[in-house]
Amino acid sequence: MTAVASTERPAASGAAERVWRLFPALLSASAFLWFLTFLPVIGAGEVVRVAWPWVPGMGIELSFLIDGLALVFALLITGIGALVLLYTASYFATHPGLWRLLILLGLFELSMLGVVLADNLILMFVFWELTTVTSFLLVGFDHEKADARAKALQALLVTLAGGLALLAGILLLGILTGTFEASALSAHSELIQDSGFYVVIVVLVLLGCFTKSAQFPFHFWLPNAMAAPTPVSAYLHSATMVKAGVYLMARLNPSLGGTDLWFWTLVLFGGVTAVLASVWALRQTDLKLALAYTTVMALGALTMMIGIGHDYALAAASAFLVVHALYKAALFLTIGILDKKAGTREVDQLGGLGRKMWATWLVAALAGLSMAGLPPFFGFISKELLYEAVVTAPAVPILVVVFAFSASAMMVAVAAAVAVKPFVGAPTKAAEKAGEPPFGMWIGPAILAGLGLVLGVLPAFTGSFFVLPTALSIAGQPVEAKVALWHGINLPLILSILTIATGVVIYLKLSAIRGALAGAEARGIWDAERGYDWSLANLKRFAAWQTDAIQTGRVTDYIFWTTASLGALLWWAIVAGGFIGVPALQALPLIEWAILGLIAFASIAVAVTHSRLIAIVGLGVVGIAIAGIFVLYGAIDVAMTQLLVETLFVVIVVVALLKLPRLRTAFAHWQKGPRWGHATLSAVVGAGVTVALLAVLETDLDRRITTFFEQESAPSAFGRNVVNVILVDFRALDTFGELAVVVIAALGAYALLRLKAERPEPKGDAR
Amino acid sequence: MSTSYLFPAAPELLLILSGLVLLLVGSFKDHAAGARLVSTLALVTLAVAFFATIIVTPGAAIYAFREHFVLDAFAGFMKGVVFLGALGTLLIAQPYLRQEKLERFEYALLVLFSTAGMGLLLSANSFLALYVALELMTLPLYVMAAFKRDTFKSTEAGLKYFVLGALASGMLLYGISLVYGFTGTISFTALQDIYAAGDVRLPIGALVGLVFIAAGLAFKLGAVPFHMWTPDVYEGAPTAVTAFFAAAPKIAAMGLTVRVFAEPFGAFVADWQQIVIAVAVGSMALGAFGAIGQTNIKRLMAYSGIGHVGYALVGLAAGTERGVYGVLVYMTLYLFMTVGTFAVILTLRRRGQELERVQDFAGLSKEQPLLALAAAIFMFSLAGIPPLAGFFGKLYVFLAAVDAGLIALAVFGVLMSVVGAYYYLRIVKLMYFDAPPEPFDKTIEPELQAVLVVTTAVTALFIVFPGPILGTAQVAASALFP
Repeated sequence: MTAVASTERPAASGAAERVWRLFPALLSASAFLWFLTFLPVIGAGEVVRVAWPWVPGMGIELSFLIDGLALVFALLITGIGALVLLYTASYFATHPGLWRLLILLGLFELSMLGVVLADNLILMFVFWELTTVTSFLLVGFDHEKADARAKALQALLVTLAGGLALLAGILLLGILTGTFEASALSAHSELIQDSGFYVVIVVLVLLGCFTKSAQFPFHFWLPNAMAAPTPVSAYLHSATMVKAGVYLMARLNPSLGGTDLWFWTLVLFGGVTAVLASVWALRQTDLKLALAYTTVMALGALTMMIGIGHDYALAAASAFLVVHALYKAALFLTIGILDKKAGTREVDQLGGLGRKMWATWLVAALAGLSMAGLPPFFGFISKELLYEAVVTAPAVPILVVVFAFSASAMMVAVAAAVAVKPFVGAPTKAAEKAGEPPFGMWIGPAILAGLGLVLGVLPAFTGSFFVLPTALSIAGQPVEAKVALWHGINLPLILSILTIATGVVIYLKLSAIRGALAGAEARGIWDAERGYDWSLANLKRFAAWQTDAIQTGRVTDYIFWTTASLGALLWWAIVAGGFIGVPALQALPLIEWAILGLIAFASIAVAVTHSRLIAIVGLGVVGIAIAGIFVLYGAIDVAMTQLLVETLFVVIVVVALLKLPRLRTAFAHWQKGPRWGHATLSAVVGAGVTVALLAVLETDLDRRITTFFEQESAPSAFGRNVVNVILVDFRALDTFGELAVVVIAALGAYALLRLKAERPEPKGDAR
Repeated sequence: MSTSYLFPAAPELLLILSGLVLLLVGSFKDHAAGARLVSTLALVTLAVAFFATIIVTPGAAIYAFREHFVLDAFAGFMKGVVFLGALGTLLIAQPYLRQEKLERFEYALLVLFSTAGMGLLLSANSFLALYVALELMTLPLYVMAAFKRDTFKSTEAGLKYFVLGALASGMLLYGISLVYGFTGTISFTALQDIYAAGDVRLPIGALVGLVFIAAGLAFKLGAVPFHMWTPDVYEGAPTAVTAFFAAAPKIAAMGLTVRVFAEPFGAFVADWQQIVIAVAVGSMALGAFGAIGQTNIKRLMAYSGIGHVGYALVGLAAGTERGVYGVLVYMTLYLFMTVGTFAVILTLRRRGQELERVQDFAGLSKEQPLLALAAAIFMFSLAGIPPLAGFFGKLYVFLAAVDAGLIALAVFGVLMSVVGAYYYLRIVKLMYFDAPPEPFDKTIEPELQAVLVVTTAVTALFIVFPGPILGTAQVAASALFP
């Protein structure tokens, strides 16, 4: 990625540079050819797998696998990649960021290849997130626009969030089965589906797939990501990256699929996505946006097919996967040509381009016919398989037929809007300056659109090398499905004819429908993006709120919360340790009650007063009263120490505090009246310490040390006051050291006091 | 009596002796020249201490100083990481101290003494050694926080840190006294032996003691709910000091926490697991949500640090060897990411003024593409996005947690990573997509360059060569679970 950042240079360089620009496309094309050599092996139903140890001990291997599914994806990625790279070199010929774009596209292509080729799910996830990150940089390519920046971040956040859920799902799968290899998981499908974690795993994995593949209700980022340059949209947002979610569902279908949960979730979410997206597609006037919504529709249909899961459904999914990538990439690239040559993508401003751009029209027409599903295009075969699949669906066939039919019919209308409308009719203002694109921009979409026709007229080849091996990988076992142009007159054919008729009707009424939809949209009926905006706004608000509440900058508050947390922990220990009980207290003599009363009184005074002096004196009283208790129990020496320390403490603190301003005048936030919060906290923590102490007294103290000193002090040290003997005899050296420390500290303090006069005034800002 | 018992403590002794000698050297030299000489020698000392640690660390544990000191693979590993952290942050502090006119030789000495404390802390085998080493580590930190003593912000940071740190030390000490009172020993080995017998319950008083000790340790870690000092201190302290705080003491405290929970209280996983889970959950959540609203990059790094401690604690919460292994890997990778990030922050200057606002990152990629790339790598890694090192840190702790049956905790951690990713990625967006209001200073000091190259390389290339770190961490973790 070093190169990404440092290659921003003007594109107006020499002929050599112009040749070098084709190099990425060439690389990608060679990769495509290399993958083609696998066709015979994979077509024979075999699988190629390579693995190296990577993180030993964690079950993570550097393992790659090529089967039908992986190969089809790899061919699409490298093949379309080569054409898109070629197109980009021409499309952005004069853009200073051309090389940055080419390199990012190349990096994306590598990551995407990694996703589909990795057998190890952790490795797959690594590549998965890499596609997210490179896509972020690609969507934000036009970073001069604030809109592009915001949309780039949106796409990143939505897919990253889903990605992390996916990671959690993968970890669960790995821990449950003991392997992270996707190819080994299917052998454990019963273990997975019978375990209590099955639902959790499915939800987590599908969250990842649905966000990546823009399923309802996470679909909104995909149309928004159309802020990306057109070649990027063609590559990432139609042919490859958005299919990563579909890919993963297909890859995990043998391990997770075949249950009611899988069927219903995929069919309902996929079906709803497909229908809603086709309605939204009709609504768009920007052709690129319309195509983006039809991509969402395609992803929904693929999800639904995987959910249905029988042989025809999987064959339909495999065929649709390929045909959609071909025609959609071609159409996106065509829209890019229109945008470049006519200066707009708005459907109303385009018309009559056919005369000046007949070569482009040819491409658009080929791709559009495949999209509409007319024979003999590959799109037709794919739609026949789709209808065959839905009419034989194991459950709710009527519902899925309705889903499939309405989505397909609207697709016909959109195909016409993209491939017919701009090229016919009276030339608009935009058409005047239009003209054919350079060859480099035309050839890519032309090949893609042409392939739609070639694969359509060779159904046997297409079926045995692409459709059936892919379906085999998704099913985990061989599938039976007939891939042909002519199936005889049956229900799917009748549905197909009805679809095209309905589609044409919708196309003719398109502007009226668009008006109605715009009205509904203005009333905000289906705005899932609001959920994202709402979450983001509230996230920020919550963050601000909690920071203000906790991080006030005042040490008083910090000590309050620290003590409160400690109190909570203490009470937790008391409750968890189960030592709430009433200890046997002996009756106290009157004098002790008096001292306790004094302590209580002084403590309350400390809590209530607003004067520092009274507070300090109150604390002093508490200390001296405690010294009194020591006296009563005969510990005169301890009492002496306590008295001395207390006196010193009060004197020193008072001297320091007298120099400070009064609390209420110095601190605007100083609360008037009793500080109930602090009083409550003190009571709670005090009660906790009391209970803990009482409980502690119930248990036996380890008396070994006490006994040792009691026995040894007189014979060894000739003293009967144990404390004194310890201080000056048993640990005399320590005492000596302490004295030395005190003396050195005093010297230091003296030196500092003498320096006082030289101190400069503090500067800077205080919080 | 032979002096061979000093041998295991050689790195710490070296740090202390060298500190004492350099104190004299600095006192008899001119200000700036003395500071430079002392800093250079201190850097050399730290490097020597790092290699000495590698040499003296044995296969099996060695005890010294009447079993108050232990040197095992765990201590050796953590010391190596901490010494590297101190070395890296002292190195990137040099240009900062020059530019801010803070060249005083005491700075390097404070780092040396504090680092010696960290070394002793990681080798502490009794609560007494623990407390003394902890104070040796912490006292220089208070001074360092207030090192820019003629600004209110820095002095305030030092004072706040001191007041709250004293409170935490008090809690820790009180807890230690309770444990001692109820078990009759302060030795980690002895505590472990007493309760090795199996199904013994921790005495009531000792449980209360454990709670207080946990609170004290959480404070040193900067974990919720004892984290409050971190944002204020990180912001107020001079940036070079903040870098040191984020790297060395945090990692040392994590090493100590792991040892205290795994060794003396190793038999009571059920008792402390709930505390650790609560602290981890709180830290992850606060780290994620707290950082979003921050406009100051140092405050943001404080919250980031809180969050990362939370993730590391997820590993500890598992209470297994695998969990400790996760913690070690996490903290090691965190060190490189955080030192690298601070190196970026220290590099950002405009007309000689240091830049502290998050907004100041805007447009960095236009002017300093390589620096922006390094920063982006650190941000993506801190957010836990593969294939960078930060992802693997998270992966290992989450794996350990799931393995120990703490699935809810792991899922919560993943959720918080999503929230956390937001603010790291916002910085990437600023750097790559927004325009700089004014040009940045172009020079990158050689010390910063060196540290940036090393930390970026480790963060980006960990995926390719994970062996050295993973292998040593594995040995270190197994030392605590014989």
